[in-house]
Amino acid sequence: MGKKMLNFEEQCKILNLLKSSSEQKSIEEMLTEFFTNPKLRHFNVCYSLSLLLQDKMMLSSTERLVAFAILHRSYSSQKSAANPFISFLVNAACDEGAENYERAFILHLLGFGNSNSSKEFLKQSASEYIKKFDPSSQTFPQKEQLQKQYLEKAHPEPYACLLKSTAVKNVLADPDVPPGCDANSAEFDLEPGAKSKLGSGDRDEALSGLIANLSLEGLIPHWIRPLPPRFPVDEELVWLNPDNNHELQWDQGMCADTSRGAAVRDLIAKALRGPLAPNQQEQVLVELAKDPKLVYHCGLTPRKLPELVESNPLIAVDVLIKLINSPEIAEYFTVLVNMDMSLHSMEVVNRLTTAVELPKEFVRTYITNCISSCENIKDKYMQNRLVRLVCVFLQSLIRNRIIDVKDLFIEVQAFCIEFSRIREAAGLFRLLKTLE
Amino acid sequence: MDLRDSSPSSTPNRDGNAGDDDGVLSVTSALAKDAALYFQSRKFAECVGVLNQLNSKKENDPKVLHNIAIAEFFRDGCSDPKKLLEVLNNVKKRSEELALRASGEQVESGSNIGNNITSGSKGCGTTTSLPASNCASIIYTDEFDTSVASLNIAVIWFHLHEYSKALSVLEHVYQNIEPIDETTALHICLLLLDVLLACRDVSKSADVLNYLEKAFGVGNVSQGENGNTAPQQSWNVVGKSSSDPNSSLISDVSCSDLAASVNASESPLSRTLSEDPLDEMFSTLDIGGQNLARHTGLTSANDLPRITVDRSISGVDLKLKLQLYKVRLLLLTRNVKLAKREVKHAMNIARGRDSSMALFLKAQLEYARGNHRKAIKLLMASSNRMDAAMSSMFNNNLGCIYYQLGKYHTSAVFFSKALSNCSSLQKEKPLKLLTFSQDKSLLITYNCGLQYLACGKPLLAAHCFQKASLVFYRRPLMWLRLAECCLMAVEKGIVKGSWAPSDRSEVRVSVIGKGRWRSLLIENGISRNRHIDSVERDVWALGGDGQPKLSLPLARQCLYNALHLLNCSELCNSKSIVHSDSSLEENESSDGASSKNSNYKNLPCNDSKASTMPAALINLNGDLKEPKGGTNQEGIQNSISYYEDICRRENQMIKQALLANLAYVELELENPLKALSAAQALLELPDCSRIYVFLGHVYVAEALCLLNKPKEAAEHLSIYLSGESNIKLPFGLEDCEQWRVKKHIDCEEANVGAAAAKNSSPEGLEDFMFLKPEEARGTLYANLAAVSAIQGDLERAHHFVTQALSLVPNSSEATMTAIYVDLILGKSQEAVSKLKHCSHVRFLPSNQ
Repeated sequence: MGKKMLNFEEQCKILNLLKSSSEQKSIEEMLTEFFTNPKLRHFNVCYSLSLLLQDKMMLSSTERLVAFAILHRSYSSQKSAANPFISFLVNAACDEGAENYERAFILHLLGFGNSNSSKEFLKQSASEYIKKFDPSSQTFPQKEQLQKQYLEKAHPEPYACLLKSTAVKNVLADPDVPPGCDANSAEFDLEPGAKSKLGSGDRDEALSGLIANLSLEGLIPHWIRPLPPRFPVDEELVWLNPDNNHELQWDQGMCADTSRGAAVRDLIAKALRGPLAPNQQEQVLVELAKDPKLVYHCGLTPRKLPELVESNPLIAVDVLIKLINSPEIAEYFTVLVNMDMSLHSMEVVNRLTTAVELPKEFVRTYITNCISSCENIKDKYMQNRLVRLVCVFLQSLIRNRIIDVKDLFIEVQAFCIEFSRIREAAGLFRLLKTLE
Repeated sequence: MDLRDSSPSSTPNRDGNAGDDDGVLSVTSALAKDAALYFQSRKFAECVGVLNQLNSKKENDPKVLHNIAIAEFFRDGCSDPKKLLEVLNNVKKRSEELALRASGEQVESGSNIGNNITSGSKGCGTTTSLPASNCASIIYTDEFDTSVASLNIAVIWFHLHEYSKALSVLEHVYQNIEPIDETTALHICLLLLDVLLACRDVSKSADVLNYLEKAFGVGNVSQGENGNTAPQQSWNVVGKSSSDPNSSLISDVSCSDLAASVNASESPLSRTLSEDPLDEMFSTLDIGGQNLARHTGLTSANDLPRITVDRSISGVDLKLKLQLYKVRLLLLTRNVKLAKREVKHAMNIARGRDSSMALFLKAQLEYARGNHRKAIKLLMASSNRMDAAMSSMFNNNLGCIYYQLGKYHTSAVFFSKALSNCSSLQKEKPLKLLTFSQDKSLLITYNCGLQYLACGKPLLAAHCFQKASLVFYRRPLMWLRLAECCLMAVEKGIVKGSWAPSDRSEVRVSVIGKGRWRSLLIENGISRNRHIDSVERDVWALGGDGQPKLSLPLARQCLYNALHLLNCSELCNSKSIVHSDSSLEENESSDGASSKNSNYKNLPCNDSKASTMPAALINLNGDLKEPKGGTNQEGIQNSISYYEDICRRENQMIKQALLANLAYVELELENPLKALSAAQALLELPDCSRIYVFLGHVYVAEALCLLNKPKEAAEHLSIYLSGESNIKLPFGLEDCEQWRVKKHIDCEEANVGAAAAKNSSPEGLEDFMFLKPEEARGTLYANLAAVSAIQGDLERAHHFVTQALSLVPNSSEATMTAIYVDLILGKSQEAVSKLKHCSHVRFLPSNQ
């Protein structure tokens, strides 16, 4: 159920008020009595009454007058423009189809024209007012005039949702009378004591039913809000396959004999300081070959590589080849490319190029270093030697397709031209030409 | 730890040292051997006894402590894996500390040279004599090697289903796998592969698989055929390669002046030293043939495959294992075609062995292909179904199959059987570590959740998802499902404070008064905005049964969780996409490279490892050519990128669903502003499905309407207008395809029960729970009518609502709008008659 506008107490209050309107009590008296309850929710009460007033048949003439009076009195302490029902009152006052006494009554309520006698008319009862009403005494102003007077100073419309502010009354009259009969004729009113006949109904019953069920929300256009579809189940179901078992492992390294690699470690340490004897060298190579993991534990580090290269290039080559999968190999290469150019380093690189694939960048940088070393040497004799060496080295690289000549063509060509006096450089130049 | 300088001389005196320790060493190593034997024969109590003796001799030796922890764990019936984890972590930490200290002291005592570091406070342990200033701190000496401890830690995490934790441990070890001995390395790689597959990380899985095949020589068929000859063969290779060039090498060195080099081809450059004629040098360089010969010799030594020392895994077993991993990987990438080929291969290898895994994988393959009947047959063929673990998997998989066939109730039976298998597994004694990992109840529970959702039981489904969230909490889809449970519960009116389902779809009319005074009071029952009590905003408020109460705020929370997870994974993916793209380029460029790299095939060339290297050298392995397994590798690579594509698209779909649901939930919660932003985000998604585009527009329009912007709302709906007043279909039937239950019927099945198949509607009622295209069109008409009415354009409103009612005559919303328009137009008679003719109106006697 939607929210009820009125609680039970309020419903009773309204019903009593409306019932007593036909009595001889003055309107003022009724109003005072009605507003004695401080808990009364003025807006809800007024809104219910305004809904009832919209149906011209539902309330009797005296009831209507009292209802209008309530609508006005509820907000009379404030400026008329602050009354949320002011436009309803104004519209009712201008309603050509309404009874003149009713319109005049509303004008009186609003204090239109004669402000001095404003309260006088409330001292009589509603029926007295109707009886005494003199249609000729009252002039009816234009709607615009009234609107100007009472609505102009109205506050700007407070925020309200359009969907709701466009609501219409959600009560539809649906007279249940035999076809062809005028639903408005009084013949269908239930007479007390009389037997009910088809199409008859009790107005009071309908009235109290309405009052009990009225809700604040009117009828509004409805929006269809589709529920999103459930996400399709595609690969979502979990299929289960037998697991591989993974057992906890015993650490075989416990108290293991570590002397195994000690000899190699010692030899490597020696190899950093000077060339090893042939049999020592062989021992290192054999031991390293025997245990592929030994190379990781032989005590070599990138920093020590230059010493090994200079003292024992062949061991260096072997170790580097074995370390090729090590995460540290890049570091070793960096050290190798940056160490001073020498016969041994060149030999190590030359052998590496044929044994494993070196990073292109490494080979390129190395060649560039070779060339610039040649150019920077002061000693002519040493320079000649180094140039010849570099030439042979480059030819070897080219012939073995280790490097792509295109990458270094200009650099190498310039080098050949610079040292064209040297036979090997000329040879290298010719080789370049044939590849062009 | 004390530093003993047994020899003051500057050369390390190994011999003297060894003499000192010889006695102790032999005692400890004998004890160690005993302990290992006890361990192997599973006499754990005795084993612990020996280990304790050992511990008294080598106090606090991390390896002894490690083995004690392992043996005690087995002795105590594997009951407390968490405790073992703690001990192992401590052991690992201690080893690392010791290693660090050892290397530090070596640096300090570098000048002493003869630095024999003894571990263990008694100083009787093994000694390591490392050269001074060993800065390779990553590579510990054998003694401080933590790889086994790390492996065991990962093993425990794996069995506890904590894959991400296992992964972080293993990845670290894998980074430096080379120095680790073969047995341990193999275990590490296999476990890593299982973990990666469980994490559905296909590209890393492929890397590891690739490495395994190369390093353990399984790619080579001849080696794999006989487990015994494999190592021998490789040893032979070593022998040859080391003897051949060695002799020449030694000769090179022995006459380092190289005046008379024996083998000219060996050391061409050195010869220049002796000022030999350069012509000769040239000629030697020209001898390509010899050069090549040596070349191969050297590389084969270098590429020596890891030898499977572990006797527990024979060559064929390993081969089968790897083959099955490959199948799993391919199934994960949904490359059905390639998976089919590889599974066939696996079946060939598995001939005559226990191959339940192969059978299950094959069944999974058929399931993925939609050959459900065949899948069932294969599952039936798997042998030991008496085993609780096996039967739980068996039943679960049958449940999956029946779900896909749309027989939700049958699938429910199988899922619950699978769950009861699991609980009986837990009761089994003695406990094994495997028992933990075999308990797949959470995964099965997730399946149950899906099945309950399909059957329209949101409370049970939510219960399942909540349980399964222990495993699935990182998956956006799980949160989406939970949100769907909330929405379904709200829709069904199960949730406290929501309308009963009938209230939502019906117009309720109170009949007041009688006879001439009768009037109809239309209740706003279908204005569905519920007022949420402020108390209920506590999203995870637990109900009496410890379950979170399903509610709209909970749905919203779940959707936000899912969006967050999705965005995170997108961020990660975009990073990895960049990475994989570059590696793809490398691969492509390598195709053109010369084939001389063929001897490189045994390298663990994976991009993930290459990426750890400095940028300048990154293409070290990038240029690799894969001549042998090339096509295969390529196939896997292709399916990985294909899979990544699928995942991207799936995530997009999930995102669409999340935003649509979020917009809906926010509208329900009366937050038009948030609903608007969610719906707009939905519309901004690239390649949005037409259904979600439709929803996006409808939600945006409603939100705008609630925000008093009817004009803009109308614009959103007018997108579907063709001409003045005609609305196109917002989407076609083909767009709904994804939501339909796919019922692949095997050929045989189709023949046998064609008639039955036709008649049998799927058991689940909620087969396709969304508007048909025509209904969607009606929805648009109705909403346009509402907007027009609000704007005061009653003529248009009337037109649209009439159209709407012809398409969706049962829509109470459209009826209400129509009545509204009639009332505004003063046609109260028509309104009353519409009300009386609408099938969704319930007339209630006035309740006083």
